Amino acid sequence: MIVVEWLQFIIGIGFLLTGLGVFVVQVFGVFKFDYVLNRMHAAAMGDTLGIGVSLVGLIILSGWNFTSLKMALIIVFLWNASPVSSHLIARLEAITNPRLERHCEVKEGVTEHVWDENQKEIIRTQKAEEEE
Amino acid sequence: MSRKLSEEEYNRQRLVRMKHWLSGEKDLYLDNVEVVLDGECEPDKRKLESYEHDLDEMKTRTYDTEHNRVYRFFQRFYKMAAVLCCVALVFILIMEVSYLPPIGSASNPASNEVAAKYIEDGLQDTGAVNIVTGMILDYRAFDTFGESNVLFIATCTVLILMRNDKKKGKGSAEEEERRDSHYEPKKDAILQMGARILVPIIMLFGIYIILNGHLSPGGGFSGGAIIGAGLILYLNAFGFEKTERFFTEKTYKVVSFGSLLFYCLAKSYSFYTGAHHLESGIPLGTPGAIISSGLILPLNICVGLVVACTMYAFFALFRKGGF
Repeated sequence: MIVVEWLQFIIGIGFLLTGLGVFVVQVFGVFKFDYVLNRMHAAAMGDTLGIGVSLVGLIILSGWNFTSLKMALIIVFLWNASPVSSHLIARLEAITNPRLERHCEVKEGVTEHVWDENQKEIIRTQKAEEEE
Repeated sequence: MSRKLSEEEYNRQRLVRMKHWLSGEKDLYLDNVEVVLDGECEPDKRKLESYEHDLDEMKTRTYDTEHNRVYRFFQRFYKMAAVLCCVALVFILIMEVSYLPPIGSASNPASNEVAAKYIEDGLQDTGAVNIVTGMILDYRAFDTFGESNVLFIATCTVLILMRNDKKKGKGSAEEEERRDSHYEPKKDAILQMGARILVPIIMLFGIYIILNGHLSPGGGFSGGAIIGAGLILYLNAFGFEKTERFFTEKTYKVVSFGSLLFYCLAKSYSFYTGAHHLESGIPLGTPGAIISSGLILPLNICVGLVVACTMYAFFALFRKGGF
């Protein structure tokens, strides 16, 4: 039995340390990069992978009980919520930044579908040449 | 000897003028201050260019670390001073911590007869397993009532400041909202899908926290905040047309007033009977059951409703000026 306990401890600590490593990389990336999309990439890494691995480590350390189930639900919640918010920020950036092609490759401009008050679809296009 | 004043004379009296000024009918600056209207401003291209050139020159010279000695010195001094301040602060705080009384010591100022009374008699008096809830909603219920009223008054203040009553035309609430959120992604399919999955879970979790307030950590404030967050997420995903089908100003009024009124009446009754040693007629139930501990569960629900409504109302008022 003591072998299982030691194994549980070592695997759990390993997962936790991996998660902490990812968090360190995330913090470094968020402060290192200048542009919002690059920083978002770094931040999203910690929000999904870092927190997921850390919580898996905690689940293993905690064993098979109700707390582990709650932590698994937290993982599910975060993995649902974090990409959606990242998507919204990225979309807003792509629509509103007129000099997007300075930071990343934009082949055919950004196309955006919006609906006006009469539920009519308007397609807004932002081409790279128009801006200068 | 008295005589009748003519209206002109009456209006010239000092007190009447002061009254006019106070009520805002008279503007002191009107016809007294000279106002010069600016002509159409035409930017001089050459001047603008030279200004920008000067600005660039200034920036490059100021931040030229290799030649600007003062700036280089300042940069080094700044870094040194920052590190020094941080180290000093850390040192002071660690010294402070070492002087704090040890945790759990019997001679601590916090462990007096009040805390002992709450811990010993809390379960028996209030019937709540969670002592904190028993404290804030039974022993100190008037304090919590004041907090709920503070939330309500805050909403009223925001309503006074941000309200936009215009229904149609230029400057109406709908148009302002549309202008504000012109670039925001509307009817985003991914957000809607995420909201469809998450909002029911968030709502259920909030309700669970409110209903379990007297059994586990949680209660009206935290559960209400979670429900409010769920409502805001729903609003962001589906827009005002969808939320206004179930949450309007009237809903807010009814729910908030109802909750506060019920809280006030229920707690007044229980304080009255408690102060006079009367039988209150509210059974405490078995501790640990979901329907137990007397008034705490309904009061928790009231507080939760007020908090959720307040959160949503704040967001709607700041976003659109009405809901």
